[in-house]
This record gives sequence, C-alpha cells and structure tokens, in this order.
Amino acid sequence: MFRFMSGSIRIAAFGLSLMLLPAAAFATQYQLKVDGLACPFCAYGIEKQLTRTDGVKEIEIDINAGTVTVTMAEGARLSREQAKRIVEDAGFTLRNFAELPAAD
Amino acid sequence: MPPLRVEYRPFRCRARRAIAAVFALTAALAGLADTAHAAPETFNTALPVPKGEFIFREQFLYKRASDDPSPADREVEVVGGISVLGYGVSGDLAVFGVVPYLHKSLDVTLSGGERVMRTTTGIGDARLFARYTVFHDDAPGRTFRIAPFAGLEVPTGDDDDSDAQGRLPATLQLGSASWDPFAGVVATYQTLAYEIDAAVSYQINTAGDEFTLGDVARGDASLQYRLWPRRLSGGVPGFLYGVLEANLIYQDRNEIAGTDDPNSGGVTLFLSPGLQYVTRRWVLEAVVQLPAFQDLNGTALEDDFTVRAGFRFNF
Repeated sequence: MFRFMSGSIRIAAFGLSLMLLPAAAFATQYQLKVDGLACPFCAYGIEKQLTRTDGVKEIEIDINAGTVTVTMAEGARLSREQAKRIVEDAGFTLRNFAELPAAD
Repeated sequence: MPPLRVEYRPFRCRARRAIAAVFALTAALAGLADTAHAAPETFNTALPVPKGEFIFREQFLYKRASDDPSPADREVEVVGGISVLGYGVSGDLAVFGVVPYLHKSLDVTLSGGERVMRTTTGIGDARLFARYTVFHDDAPGRTFRIAPFAGLEVPTGDDDDSDAQGRLPATLQLGSASWDPFAGVVATYQTLAYEIDAAVSYQINTAGDEFTLGDVARGDASLQYRLWPRRLSGGVPGFLYGVLEANLIYQDRNEIAGTDDPNSGGVTLFLSPGLQYVTRRWVLEAVVQLPAFQDLNGTALEDDFTVRAGFRFNF
C-alpha cells in the first residue's frame, strides 16, 4: 500500500505501522491446564464461565489435552486467582496456569 | 372396598414406580452440581450444572404394561414428557425441579365382561431436590465425584380425577395427594472414553387420601462408552456414547385405609440399552427400558417396556 503514497508520507506510514505491530501482538494468551475435563458438555461449562470474564476475547479448548487457551483483549490480563475461581465454578480443578509467549 | 380400586393398585404401583423412577431418577439423579458429564438417561441425579448455569432436560416417555394375570386383563399405557430444570447455586450445590406431564390410560374388563378405557391427562406430582458434591477428585481427562441428594415429591398432580365409571383408581391418578421425601447418593466416574454412574435412593411415601403408595428403594447404574470418535484429536468434537443402564427397584405394598394391598409392590430389574450424542451445548438421548426380572406381589401388573427419548442443553 505504500507505493501509492509520496516519499515522506510513505516513510511516516511505514514507521507508524512498525509502532503499531507490537501493540497488536500485545493481546496476551494464557494456557490453563484443567483436570476433570472429560466430555464435550463439560467444555461448554468452562467456556461460559470464561465468557463472562471481562477482557476475554477468545477461548480455545482441547478436550483431549485438557487445555483451555484464553486470548485476552488488548491490555487485559488474567490472573491465576481469576483462572482458578473460574475453573472451580465450572466444576473442575486448575492444574497449571501459564502465560504464553507473545506471537512473533 | 371397590374391586376396581384394588385391581388398579398394582398399576398405580407400577405407574408410580415407572414415573417415579424416571422422574425421581431424572429429578433425583439430575442433581449435577459441579461438572457436566454425559449423564445417565434413566435417572437425573447425575446431571451436571456449573455455578450460575441452568440445565434443561426434556424426556418423552412411552410406557406399556399389559401382562395381567387376572381376569381384568388390564393394559396400561403412559405417554408424556418429563421436564427437568437444574440450577448451579455453587460449584458444589445444585437444585432441581422435575415436572411430568402425562396421559395415562387403562383398558380393563369389568366384572360384567364389558371392556372399558379409563384415562387421565395432566401434570403429575413434581419433584424438587438438591444435590451437594461432598467429594471430587479430578485428574487429567477424568473425574470422580460423590454427591448426596435429598428432595421432596410434592402433590401437584390431580388425585381426584373421575370418568363415567366414577372416581379413577388411586394408581391411575396423576397425583398422590401426599408429600413424599426422598434421599440418596450418587457417584460418578468419568474419563474421556467412558462414564460410570451409580446411585442409591429411598423414598418414603406418606399417606394421601386413604391411599398410601409403598415406599420405594432403588439402585441405579449407568455405563456410557464413547463409540465415536474412536480417536480424539484437537478441539471439542461431539461424542456418541453407547449406553447401558440398570435400575433395581423395590416397592413396598400400597396401603388402603391402613391395610396392605396384597396385589402391589415387589421387585423389578430393568436393563436399558441406549444411545447418547453429546456436544458442547446440547445432548440427544434415547433409551429402552426392558424388564429383565420382575417379582411382583399378587396380580400386580408387570411392565412390558418403557421408551425414553429427549434432549438436554444448558443456558
């Protein structure tokens, strides 16, 4: 898209896009290892509890691995205590909680 | 005492047993407080409900009993729906309500040789109960839970319906006119490959209008085995379970005006094959209850079969 701009504007736009890239990648991801997840219906219970949490943007569950990957909105964070409460309210046990490294 | 009333008592016992079994089981076993499993189909005490969530189960029911050893040659059919609503008060405590809507019919040969059909339709006695998970042990891909439950069957059904023949027999009425407490305990062991549920319960049937149903003790077991997908990959696929359940039900003799009815009560063992398709948001299920063993008192009417089919979802 830069070829349609004049030289100085092109440089400014390119610099601005470089500045914005880290912000876009700032959406943090967490992986929750959940014990007790053993059927599809169980997965929905934990998904609904997470959906009610402020800042949760995306939820991905792998029932075979027993993992729940939570993507937060930009600037939002999820604490281990929050995750533990959410998992317990859904009727399960939080085994492990980890922040995933930011995507390149 | 009117002969018809005595003759129908076994049916009442049976209808009550079947309905109570399904409803009670549905209601009683529906107490799923903390986690969502596939759950048994012939009882409700194992239904999973996360905190702050509702679960709704609707089961359509068709039941027939026709093997009458007496000259009355009774044939009984029950058609209807059983609605179960559960709510997760906390991660461990869940409350449930079960309301049946039934059409009950009785074909019978009167003493004069005339064949008549007697019917009634409406809401039956509702069941309210709570379940509390006292123990749970979670591990990767599996869970084990133990949860006692207790509740009350309330007299919401009509217990004074009548037709051209007069007042319907107590066992054909939709309601018992009595407040009947019950309690039990349910245990669930679930893995990604299968689920096993087991429950025992006891219901004290108190006196209604001169008529008292016998107390009911029951043991229920359910095995749900994942048939598809055979191998799990990522995500949350739907599971198709093959289901085999067993219900051992003992009912004491009914009482009329303080006297035991010799043609009521006994022991029945149902074996029930079925299928269940479980997704994240909803469940489809169907099961056929077949009487594998029946040792009933006197001329109590034996069950032929019961079909249950329905759906479940949470919201």
